[in-house]
Parts: sequence; C-alpha cells; structure tokens
Amino acid sequence: MTAPFPTPVTDESQRLLSPDELAAALRDIGARRYHNLHPFHRLLHDGKLNKDQVRAWALNRYYYQAMIPIKDAAVLARMEDASLRRIWRQRIVDHDGDAPGDGGIERWLKLAEGVGFTRDYVESTQGILSATRFSVDAYVHFVKERSLLEAIASSLTEMFSPTIISERVAGMLKNYDFITKDTLAYFDKRLTQAPRDADFALDYVQQHATTPQLQRQAMAALTFKCNVLWTQLDALYFAYVAPGMIPPDAWTPGTGLVPEAAATTTAQAAGTGTLGPHDVPRLPRGVRLRHDAVRDQHVLLAPERTFDLDANAVAVLEYVDGTRTVRDIAGLLAEKFTADRAVIEADILVMLNDLATKRVLER
Amino acid sequence: MNAITPNAPALPAPVGLLAELTHRCPLRCPYCSNPLELDRRSGELDTATWQRVLTEAAALGVLHVHLSGGEPTARNDIVEITQTCAKLGLYSNLITSGVGGALAKLDALYDVGLDHVQLSVQGVDAANAEKIGGLKNAQPQKFAFAERVTQLGLPLTLNSVIHRGNIHEVEGFIDLAVKLGAKRLEVAHTQYYGWAYVNRAALMPNKADVDRSIRIVEAARERLKGQLVIDLVVPDYYAKYPKACAGGWGRKLMNVTPAGKVLPCHAAETIKQLEFWYVTDHSLGDIWANSPAFTAYRGTDWMQEPCRSCDRREKDWGGCRCQALALAGDAAATDPACSLSPLHAKVRDLATEEAAETPPDYTYRTIGSNVQPNVRSPLNEEVSL
Repeated sequence: MTAPFPTPVTDESQRLLSPDELAAALRDIGARRYHNLHPFHRLLHDGKLNKDQVRAWALNRYYYQAMIPIKDAAVLARMEDASLRRIWRQRIVDHDGDAPGDGGIERWLKLAEGVGFTRDYVESTQGILSATRFSVDAYVHFVKERSLLEAIASSLTEMFSPTIISERVAGMLKNYDFITKDTLAYFDKRLTQAPRDADFALDYVQQHATTPQLQRQAMAALTFKCNVLWTQLDALYFAYVAPGMIPPDAWTPGTGLVPEAAATTTAQAAGTGTLGPHDVPRLPRGVRLRHDAVRDQHVLLAPERTFDLDANAVAVLEYVDGTRTVRDIAGLLAEKFTADRAVIEADILVMLNDLATKRVLER
Repeated sequence: MNAITPNAPALPAPVGLLAELTHRCPLRCPYCSNPLELDRRSGELDTATWQRVLTEAAALGVLHVHLSGGEPTARNDIVEITQTCAKLGLYSNLITSGVGGALAKLDALYDVGLDHVQLSVQGVDAANAEKIGGLKNAQPQKFAFAERVTQLGLPLTLNSVIHRGNIHEVEGFIDLAVKLGAKRLEVAHTQYYGWAYVNRAALMPNKADVDRSIRIVEAARERLKGQLVIDLVVPDYYAKYPKACAGGWGRKLMNVTPAGKVLPCHAAETIKQLEFWYVTDHSLGDIWANSPAFTAYRGTDWMQEPCRSCDRREKDWGGCRCQALALAGDAAATDPACSLSPLHAKVRDLATEEAAETPPDYTYRTIGSNVQPNVRSPLNEEVSL
C-alpha cells in the first residue's frame, strides 16, 4: 500500500524541494493516482465496454466539461494580475469557443451525439450520477475557497492527459465500430491545448510554492483533483459495470437517445443477461475446456467453433465449475497471482460476459 | 522424403473432420451438398473402420467431428460412433434432418456424450418446407426433434439454406430459432456446387432479396445479442470476394465420404483429374500430408494471376476450386465469385438473369440417377453482357 500524500513525518520531508524535485513529486502523484489507472478507463480503451457503458461515460463526463469554464472563471476572478488573466482566459475561450458551434463543450456534445444521445438530454444533465455532480461541484468550490496557488496546482492533471488522450483515441477508434474520428474531435484539440496549459501552470506553481508548506499544499491540491476524476469513474463502474447498481433517476440504457440509437441498445438476453460479481458462471453442455496435446494449448470447444485460450483465460475457466461466483473466482485468482481482487474481478467480468454474449457461458 | 526443409513451413494439423457416414437420407433437397453420384449402402465403411478413422483423427489434431451424411442417424451404429468420439475427447456435432429415426436415437446419443446438434430446416411454412425437402410430414417431426434436443439440455443450432424458394422467410427462420430454443442459427445462402449447381436456375435469388435478407440478419443480431448467435453465409455470386473454401484447401478440414474416400472439401470430387486416397488404403495422417488431392491446391504455389500477387491470397486462398472449375473451366483459376476475376461480371449477370426468369422445377436428389449438370456457364457465348 502507498501512503497518502503528502507525508510530513520527518525533517527531510519538510525541506524545500528544488523546482525540478517539485515537478518530479507532482508527476509522481499522477503516476500513482491519475485516472488512466482506473479499471473503467482500461475497459474503455481496450474496447471492452459495451455501447451503453460508453454512453454512460460520455453523458456523465459532459457535466465535467460543461463546468470547466465556470471553474476557470472562478480562478480568473481571483487573479489580480492582468497578465495572468490574459493567459488564463484562453482556457475559457477553448471550452466555450468564440461563437456558437465552436469550442470544447460543443465538441463534447458532438461526441455524445455520436454515441446516440439527443443534445437536449445531455445538456439537461438530468441523467448524470449524483457522484459525478458532487465531485465536479467540489472541484469548483475548491478553486473558489483555496489559495490561488492551490487552485492552479489542481489543474496540473493536464500534465498527464496527453498520454491518456492518445491511448483513448487509438483504443476507441480501433475497438468500437460506433466511434468515428469526427466523434473524437474533442481530443484532437486537447492534445495541443493541455500541454500548453500545463506548462504555464507548472511554471507558476514552481515559482510560487516557495516554502515547504506551500509545496505540500500544491501537492495536496493535485491529489484532490486526481480524486475528483477517480471518483467519477468509481461511480460509473459501480452503476454500469459491476455490480450494476444504477441509482434512482440516473440514466438507464435506452433513454435520452435518438430513435435509431435506442433500437441498438444492448439487449438483456433471456437466460444469460449480464453477469455480475455474485452470479455463478458455468459452461453449459456442449462447451468444453480441453487441452489440445497436438498443438500444446488449451482450447474451448463450442458448437461449430474453437476458441484458442491464453494462459489468463485458462486460469479463469479452470475455476468456472458451476458453484463458484465470479467474486469467488476473482478471490482465488487474486491469491494465486498476488494481485488486487477488484482489478481481477473487473477483468474477468468482461471476459465472462463476452463469452456469455457468444452463448458459450451461462449462469 | 518427409525431412523438414528450412523453407517449408510446418504443415498445420487439421481441426475438423466431416464424417459423411452415409448418403442415405429421407429428404431430397435440391441443393444437397452430396455429389451427384451418391454412394450406396453396400459401399459404406463399417463401424470398426470409422472407429479407426476417428482414432487417427484425434491423434492428428482434429478437435471437431461433424457427423453428417446424408442423414447420419440412418446408420445403425450412429450411437457407437458418437461414443467413440466422446471417448477420444473429440467434439461431436450431429448434422441431422431430424426426420425418420433421428428422434428415436436422440436420447441414446445424449447418454454417450453427444456435444451438439445442428438441425436443418428447409422452410418456415410447413407446406413450403416439405416441398423443398421433398418429404411430406417432415416439419412436425423436425419440431418434435428440436423440442427433445432442448429438453435434454443439448445445444441446438438451426441451419437454414437460403434460396429463391424461402428467402422471403428469413425473418421467420429467426423467430423459429428463438421459439425452438436454439442458441445458434445459420442463415446460409446456397452455395452452387453439386445438386445446387444442377438446380441453380430454380434456386438463385435476386440481388434485392439477398440484400434485404442481410439487413434482416444484421438487425436481428443486435436485437437478440446474448440470446441467439446468427451466422450468415452470403451468396458467392453477388459477393465482392470469395470465401476461403473449407478455411483454405487442405488447411483445416478433412472430409471422409461414406465409402472412405478422403476429400479436402465435400465437392472436391467434381475436379475429375484429382487423385483421392481412401482410408482403407492409407492412414489419415498420410492422406493429410501426402495425398495428391490435398497437396494439389494447398498453399499458394499453384495460383495464377490475379490470385498469385493478390494481398488477399492467404485470406481467401483463391476461393473455391470447384467453383473455379465449374464456372471458369479451370480448377486453378481465380474463383469467379471474386470481383477480381475477369469472369466476375458475367457470373453476376448470369445470376441476375436466372433470378429474373420463371424458376424451373427442382431436380430432386436421388441415388442412382444419372443427372448431368445442364446449366449456363459464363464461358458460353449465349450469355449477354
């Protein structure tokens, strides 16, 4: 387990860091806490979410996008230096555009429309998760209430975003046939905007965090912001991946969509449905796990088909015995591979649901 | 002579064995994949020989055995043969019409470890289905058979061969598959070899109906995701690229006829110059590696242009050799189903013309008939361009 950051325990940790050391410490926070590490993002980038799960992500994330200019206006309002304001106001222009039909929010709406939503429904934000609203609102309050240094430091997640964006764009284009390059236009702009913004903010923090205490405040602000992002994905995962508990009033698949999109909502199959952590998966009659001695590999034999299995899939399927739940299996695998059970559970749920869709696994 | 040379890639092992246990069948479908000259009961392999063939297949690397025919349950030893598959760890797939003695043998097949049933349905409307299959009262027998399959908990696939006489029933086949509790449905447009080639003018659908059938399947796949898997085989004559026949010649599949002749695909006997070996003379492994019929079109060395330099040559392997012979007059030519074949436009025109004409009566399959294909070819001058 990693200790919560910062950890002011020794004199050494109280000392003033050099600008480079401070930058390294801030990057370290991202390396451990940025939401590209979240299981939901891994599923998103690897193409393992179904269409409705991608929709839930696009819908909720809209609220974050829509509130960013309000957040930046709050930061701006606290800047007494006109030269600072001239730089910071560019962020608001980036998001709002100079005219209708322009800007980052508009491009996000295009993305949401691209996955099937009506514009009105997205803009209403009526279907978003409460956790999304709470996290985003907390971010806006944070920049109003804390020091300007902390407000600016909290924006430093932009240092980490170019990596996640390129992963995301490549992964989504490759893995989802309903995502087009046009749909992802938002990210094209952010690839150049984010580093420019981050360079300025990092420079500011390095110059103004002049005492150990201020440096720790800056680091805590960035940690807070990482948590704002992480919490939103926790909530999405909980509601739309596993255990699939959608809160009252939050978006449910099939609503808020243009008619053609509603027709392609992921069907809940009779007899199989979507497997959750407490379901007991089993291989039905006519599906067999077998070692193929000639080719020295494990295969899953199914009606008119053979699935070649990698070592991970074999490890999972060897525990599928019709009595263990998905959670039991994740627990056994976590012990066997000394890994995190929750991460394993997320991974194997995707794999098992994929097999269920192909009608070779049941519960 | 079998020494491994540095440049020769290792020969992959076959994954599937199509065991045509008999050509006998109560149905007489005009698109039957069996050859025009059907094997008689007296020439069929005995039980012990089939069991030896299955043992050799398992050792060779075969994973799936398709117990087919004709009607495989017409064999008295179908239960013993299925049991042998189970003992060898081979995945057994019964490809059946569900009529005649099929239902009576089903429970015993289940008990010895049958893995999967593929049931043919000729049509949705009983009168239409029975006209196509050429057997009265077949439809209720099929439904009773399907019901018992799902009662036993065996996975059921419905196979529907699509043509002009039932292309209007594609939606019906999908509903029927759901109603009968099938997990899979094959919507397989007719492939025009064997009896289907003879009956092509009676079977060829028009392009608009084909396109509509594809749209129906695609919509149903979304709608029934997780409930019914639908496999679609599109008709060659209207396709852009040919399909990799049997996954590529001599790459994945072996087909053993009732008399023990081993073919790279079920229609290969139409290529008269090929030399086929019999399981009674050679081991299955020897046949796979060395039989002239298997080596003839394996890999890419035999190819002509445009296949030879084509990027897709190891995707579709030049398409179907039998169709190349039937339509282009040369088994080593590019399959005219391919849009890169110089004959492709003519083939498509031929299909369009045939589909527009009043269909002739079916020539039903029968044992001992002397049917010769008498169909128009793109090589004939009479075909308009």
